[in-house]
Amino acid sequence: MRKYAQEVSMDFSLSQEQRMFRETVYRYGRDEIAPLCEEADLKGEFSFEIWRKLASLGILGLPLPEEFGGSAASILNCCLAGEALGHAGVDGGSLLAWGAHTYLCAHNIYAFGSEDQKRKYVPKLASGEWIGCMGLTEPGAGSDAASISTTALKKGDRYVLNGSKTFITNAPVADVFVVFANVNKAIKHEGITAFIIEKGTPGLTTGKPFHKMGCKCSSTSEVFLTDCEVPEENILGGEGKGWFIALSGVEWDRCTLLSPMLGAALNNLDSCARYANERQQFKRPIRSFQAIQHRIADMKVFVEAVRLAVYRVASAKDNGQMLNPLQAAVSKVYAGDRGFEMASEAVQIFGGYGFMHEYPVERNFRDSKLAAIGGGTSDIMRMIVSRIMMMG
Amino acid sequence: MDYQLSPLEVKMQQELAAFCKAEIAPRAKMLDSSSRPEVCTYMKENLKILFRGGCLEAGHIGDVIDLIAVYLAGEEIAKACPATFLSARASTFLCGGALRLFGAPDQKQRYIPDLMKAERVGAFAYSEEQAGSDTAAITTVAHKDGNTWRLTGDKNVVVNAPIADIFLVLAYSEKDAGTDSGMSIFICDKGARGLRIGEPVETMGLRGVPLAGISMNNCVAAGILGDTPGKGYEQITRILTMGKVGIAALCVGIGNACMEISVKHSKERKSFGKPIGLYQDVGFRLADMFTINDLGRMLALRAAWAINTGEHEADILAACAKLFASEAVTKIANWGMQIFAGHGYVAGSDIERFYRDAKFGEICEGASEIQRSLIARSELDKFLPR
Repeated sequence: MRKYAQEVSMDFSLSQEQRMFRETVYRYGRDEIAPLCEEADLKGEFSFEIWRKLASLGILGLPLPEEFGGSAASILNCCLAGEALGHAGVDGGSLLAWGAHTYLCAHNIYAFGSEDQKRKYVPKLASGEWIGCMGLTEPGAGSDAASISTTALKKGDRYVLNGSKTFITNAPVADVFVVFANVNKAIKHEGITAFIIEKGTPGLTTGKPFHKMGCKCSSTSEVFLTDCEVPEENILGGEGKGWFIALSGVEWDRCTLLSPMLGAALNNLDSCARYANERQQFKRPIRSFQAIQHRIADMKVFVEAVRLAVYRVASAKDNGQMLNPLQAAVSKVYAGDRGFEMASEAVQIFGGYGFMHEYPVERNFRDSKLAAIGGGTSDIMRMIVSRIMMMG
Repeated sequence: MDYQLSPLEVKMQQELAAFCKAEIAPRAKMLDSSSRPEVCTYMKENLKILFRGGCLEAGHIGDVIDLIAVYLAGEEIAKACPATFLSARASTFLCGGALRLFGAPDQKQRYIPDLMKAERVGAFAYSEEQAGSDTAAITTVAHKDGNTWRLTGDKNVVVNAPIADIFLVLAYSEKDAGTDSGMSIFICDKGARGLRIGEPVETMGLRGVPLAGISMNNCVAAGILGDTPGKGYEQITRILTMGKVGIAALCVGIGNACMEISVKHSKERKSFGKPIGLYQDVGFRLADMFTINDLGRMLALRAAWAINTGEHEADILAACAKLFASEAVTKIANWGMQIFAGHGYVAGSDIERFYRDAKFGEICEGASEIQRSLIARSELDKFLPR
């Protein structure tokens, strides 16, 4: 008898439904949304038109249960949607707005909120009627997020918040803010607490939208809390639970929020392959030059590798496994660093045209830089991996 | 869908890893520094040791090959001793695997059990001095003499040639029929009339591999693989596509070995009062090593799965895996050398051996340039103008 006959093996397949879902989202993105993106990106503002399209595609509540207006999609399906939209040519900014809204705001409220909080906020976020954001980063607390200095002091049955947040995706257009503040700095991260704050609450203001290098259709600004009074029933998940909530966002960051970057790389690969066939120089298509071919090959290797990294995090999450910090970091650092290099090669294939705004490779290049910065920089990823290796 | 290995796969890999670490790894340095005749003796012993540990049979089931299991076993053998992996792979996978997939029933019966037990050693002779990736350019030809096929030509580098009992040889059986239907793979037994094994060749890395050219002068073949002539090109393409997963296993295995010793050194070696691994220049390098090795591994498993299940882009995924993992391991070995610095540059250090071994992946069985051309053509052809 054979000792190692394989009966159960790892499985990379997508179901027929998953392939159809990706195809449907791709077609919608390509036909309905992508044509709007160039102009929206040029304006550099949040596009409510694109937002409404995303809402009518029904993906703003994708991972949320149906009773809260969502589609109860698996994490992997969320990734398929992000990949499909990026692949279809939807800009990184609009997809970032979607990600921050759906995963970091709506899903956090669903996952950690009280029944009342869920009923009040989640359905309207899932439908896109309300726009959500999450505020963790501060001017003095980026990678070192546990050091946030926004405070929440208890006053009767209310908390008074003071501090400022920065780089908050969706803040200028948001109706619902999930904001992290520390109720007791003496106990450091154990005092961090998440609050749900509604737009219009006295003491809550947002700054002017930043002008960004890429992902321009997501609106990003500072959030100021000046003696902002929040009722205690707006605490999300309990006092001192904020750090845990913030860390849980990391799991989404390493898969669903990276999937549009994978999509953009696929979009670049398609447009470069098409261009290399059509563009003639020296009386032959430039595809006949090895320097062009080999860039195309590297882009293909990249999309296959980053897809595996992203899906692996997603499928582990779907299967209820704890986030593997090594696998998560691999996903992030590779999508970020190599993704930027590959986006640059796409611009190079297009030459002068690639430098022009009307070619998506230009926008994808600018958008791609965010993956190495947002949600934990590439350096932080290396720090995590090297620490684990040095401890093990 | 499940991107993690199944419990059975994990268990198998752990058992093989423990075995290879105990039985194979301690012999790796000796193989690297031995004379050519000694290498032949030691490698035959190593193949028998691998058989005893169940390393050779993993993934070989009846008429099929489970490439995921082959990959996992390969990664562990390669980590323990890259040269032993290459030799074992030529015997049981390239030669044994081709017989398993394409052989006639009597051919399978005659050769496979002995190959899998390392009672006999197999070799696969296909490339020539002027024909590597350009397979069509081979000049070895076969002609029929009554009921016997006779081969004439030279194969310049054949893994295992000095110790092989069975050779599979690629040749034109009907040159005019062209590549697709004019090539066949012939089976030649050691000692066949007209078969001459050249002097063992010295190499920069993987020095434990017995390697030599063979020349055939009206050499009598024992038969055609599968008994039907004209299928050689299809057969070699298929086995070498699967073989790319094996080269990825070699590279990831070497990468793992490099990382293991580099991490250990980074903890133990102190400078300016702290372990060097706590400096970002070293620690981040370790992280990069982990990242690219991990992704090479995932690409290899992905390709293995695609080939197992007959996915239409399987050959491209295999090329991606081979390309990525081989370029990853030369970086990893290079960074490892940098971490060991002077301690690594000394002859006989482990990282120095791995550094030499690592280069093979980018060169063998379709250099990186060829893999890129293959991948690019497939992508570009999706958008051919109508």
